[in-house]
Amino acid sequence: MNVLEEIFHSSTRILPEWILFLGILATCLALAFTKEDNKSPFYLFALTVILYVYSLVISAPQVTTEGRSFYQGLLHLDKKALLIKQLTGIAAIIFMVHARLFSYKFPGEVYVLMLFVLFGISFLSMTTHFMTAYVSLELISLASYVLVASGKMKKNFEAGIKYLIFGAVATAIMLFGISLFYGLSHSLNFSSPEFAESIARNPAGPIRVISFMVLGGFLFKIAAAPFHQWVPDVYESTPTPVISFLSFAPKAAGFIFISRMVAADFTDLNYALALVIILSLVVGNFAALWQNDFKRLLGYSGIAQSGFILTGMITGNNSDGYGTFFYLVVYLPITMGSFFLADSIWKKARTLDIPSMAGLGKKYPLLGLNALVILISLVGLPPTIGFLAKLVVFSSLADAASASSSGYLLYGLLIFGLFNAAIALYYYLRPAYMMIIRDPVEKSAGFTYDLLITIVLSYFSFTLIYLFIKPDFISEWVSGVF
Amino acid sequence: MESGILSSLILLPLVGSLLILILPRAYKTFYKWICLITQILLLINVMTILGLFDRENPEYQFIEHSEWFRLALGSKSILSIDYILGVDGLSISLVVLSIIVFLIASVSSFRITYREKTYFSLFLLLTASVLGCFLAVDFFLFFVFFEFMLLPMYFLIGIWGGKNRAYASLKFFIYTFAGSVLILVVMICMVISSQDEFFTSEYARLVYSFDFRMLKDTTNLIDGSILNIKNPVSVFGLPARDLMFLLLLVGFGIKMPVVPFHTWLPDAHVEAPTPISVILAGILLKIGGYGILRVAYEILPDASEKYAVLIGVLGLVSIIYGALNALNQTDLKKLIAYSSVSHMGFVFIGISAFNSIGFNGAVFQMFSHGILSSMLFLVAGVIYERTQDRDISAFQGLARKMPVYTLVVAVAFFGSLGLPSLSGFIGEFLTLHGAFQSEHLPKVIPVLGIIGIVLSAIYFLLTFQRMFFGEFHTREEYRTLLKDLTKTEMFMLGSLAVLTILTGVWPNLIIRYINSSLTEILK
Repeated sequence: MNVLEEIFHSSTRILPEWILFLGILATCLALAFTKEDNKSPFYLFALTVILYVYSLVISAPQVTTEGRSFYQGLLHLDKKALLIKQLTGIAAIIFMVHARLFSYKFPGEVYVLMLFVLFGISFLSMTTHFMTAYVSLELISLASYVLVASGKMKKNFEAGIKYLIFGAVATAIMLFGISLFYGLSHSLNFSSPEFAESIARNPAGPIRVISFMVLGGFLFKIAAAPFHQWVPDVYESTPTPVISFLSFAPKAAGFIFISRMVAADFTDLNYALALVIILSLVVGNFAALWQNDFKRLLGYSGIAQSGFILTGMITGNNSDGYGTFFYLVVYLPITMGSFFLADSIWKKARTLDIPSMAGLGKKYPLLGLNALVILISLVGLPPTIGFLAKLVVFSSLADAASASSSGYLLYGLLIFGLFNAAIALYYYLRPAYMMIIRDPVEKSAGFTYDLLITIVLSYFSFTLIYLFIKPDFISEWVSGVF
Repeated sequence: MESGILSSLILLPLVGSLLILILPRAYKTFYKWICLITQILLLINVMTILGLFDRENPEYQFIEHSEWFRLALGSKSILSIDYILGVDGLSISLVVLSIIVFLIASVSSFRITYREKTYFSLFLLLTASVLGCFLAVDFFLFFVFFEFMLLPMYFLIGIWGGKNRAYASLKFFIYTFAGSVLILVVMICMVISSQDEFFTSEYARLVYSFDFRMLKDTTNLIDGSILNIKNPVSVFGLPARDLMFLLLLVGFGIKMPVVPFHTWLPDAHVEAPTPISVILAGILLKIGGYGILRVAYEILPDASEKYAVLIGVLGLVSIIYGALNALNQTDLKKLIAYSSVSHMGFVFIGISAFNSIGFNGAVFQMFSHGILSSMLFLVAGVIYERTQDRDISAFQGLARKMPVYTLVVAVAFFGSLGLPSLSGFIGEFLTLHGAFQSEHLPKVIPVLGIIGIVLSAIYFLLTFQRMFFGEFHTREEYRTLLKDLTKTEMFMLGSLAVLTILTGVWPNLIIRYINSSLTEILK
């Protein structure tokens, strides 16, 4: 098969991406030719996302664990990629429901940008090629910078600039690493045998440093320390549905790329990962202790959660990076549920200041109960699925520790990481404590009742508990990733 | 034989809790009755089990086993998590204790008039998780119940507690959660070092089982894993098995609580409402002792034996430190809380003896302390509910005004200080006797332990003297409030007093159930 034929052939195999592409075109056209308050961009967005998820579900049986390469190795479609694409598609649907239920009036551009993010994630999750990875990462980043900065307030702009500058630095470091790799191996595809061969000829130390530089760009996306400085401001000032989506989807894409680099196994990344995890847990958990704004708190908690998800990548003889993917599936309802919770609280109390949530759970018992369930699944207490996620990642960590020569660090991480859950308990419990135990300070406005929001919120917490009792569903979904 | 009678012990309170949740607030007088009736049904079930229980059989009985779920750790290994319930001599004694204490506490809860719906549904949820913890034969199940228990407890102290309840409940939660995190570390390490051979060949993947019986069996250990015995792995300079044991000791020690991890206990006790104090002292502390016997001793017998002296010393320190603290308290509830620390120290001394007398003594002491501390907290509650005051010096000569009350207090105090013919004596005697006979302990530990008994005699007698003897003298406004026991209080305290006396004169009532299982642990 000659090259041109291969390109044409490959192009017939990426239907979901074509759907996204056409959706983006259509939405752009609709934006250009309709008035400002026209709703057609939203409907086009909805249609695109639903078709995208539908095509992913339809194509699922053809995707195998080993996967197959397109465009001469630029893309590689396997179960992992499919899982991440499905998850981010679902995240986009949840975004839609969230924005709709709380009647957010976004300008049409937001929907186009969301589609761009999804488009970037779709390619990033399918690649082991540095070039494709860079381009799709930038696609995600540029779209998210604009999304963050799109509000009219000064702090939106500030958050956007922060995000942009830190992002640019991280990308620069990553590009530097990639160029070094290219210089060493004359190959940009890190899963190819030539790449591994030429890397193996070099001393291990510098290779680790270069790998870490490349990881930098992705650690920035997943908000792991020391690439986390943008998180609190961005989380606080971005509209909730948008940040709810951004707190999950780009992260998932970052994780899959890191996981591919770890799985390519050209160098031992356990040390570097362990250090990043410890740093993320410390920064996330300890900074969160002092937060009074619920969304800022969720931002810091997101840093810590990234540490936990990364833990799944440190593996030993009898385990593989499965834990990360299990955790990611679980993380979807947890993080998006917690942002949905944030908006529900905002709607009732008109504030996200934790001390002023006092007595809210007494007035709205169901809201209090849902808040409790979502928060304890962030801590990882049974009977919520958060507990199983922690069990799986830490079991594979323990397996790694018993197999590895750097056991001390990993055993230390095992104990320290789980201990962090006890620290996290304090700040996750504070909103629940305020809502359920404290008495309201003053008589607030009348009782409002939103049936749909309550149902969706309860559905989130129901999922979190139900999956604990029957996790087979996730097991089946994730099985075959490795 | 799968009768499902053990599952019913967990399901009944859950159903009760759900019933309370869906019953509208207009029927709020029914809540307490639903709670009480559930406890009575549980008591009947437990009595049925007790009747059918084979006392000579050291193994688990009434086993209920069904698959729960399998979690892959990747393409090479699976965590197999099963729903297994069973009772042996050790757990049945504590199940019986829990039912008794919960029944008494639910009667005592009749006074709760604030947010009843939440209270009683949390109360039943707590019942379910405590019973589940004692009945679980699967480590995962045990841990889930163990950890879930904290949540209802947190709210029960946090919502219905005293002035400083926010601080106390949070401290309780974080302390015990930190402890359970250590247990989780050990659980993970234990599980990934032993395999279920049958299923491993069946699935052609490594299958890790959480079944206590599998974990106990050293032939299941995987070569080269963390806990293997042949080539000990060293972690942080300690053999891995020893490290795991120490983590468990701290984890369960916090729950127990043993000095120096006890500081949450006085706070929690002082702030908790009476029925919750009763449950906390009567049952929740016992889970620490139960956990050490069930998990640490059964799965890591070699490491536990190595640290017998450490356990003994921790027990001794708790006894002396708790007693010295209790000597100096002015708050009646704080005094009882510290006496709890002191008395739970005997449990540690008993289990450090590594002989059957010591073990029997330790479990007997847990049972007896469960009954006695429930009595003590009810006794403190009687005064507090009448006057909102717990200061020992505020009362004098109560004996004349409240004769029946004085009688029960006497039984509780003398039982606690170890008067022969009451249950406290048997527990303390057996644990110290076991420690004297033990090959592992230096004789100085039991000798100093006796000082603890003397100290507890001093503080209990002093308190008794100050509060009950002499002229009736108290603040003017309390005079009319201080009435003798009501019928409900008489029922609660009376039945506990009868149990104390009964087990005190006939200790075999309990020991014949627990002996064979405890002797099995020693092997």
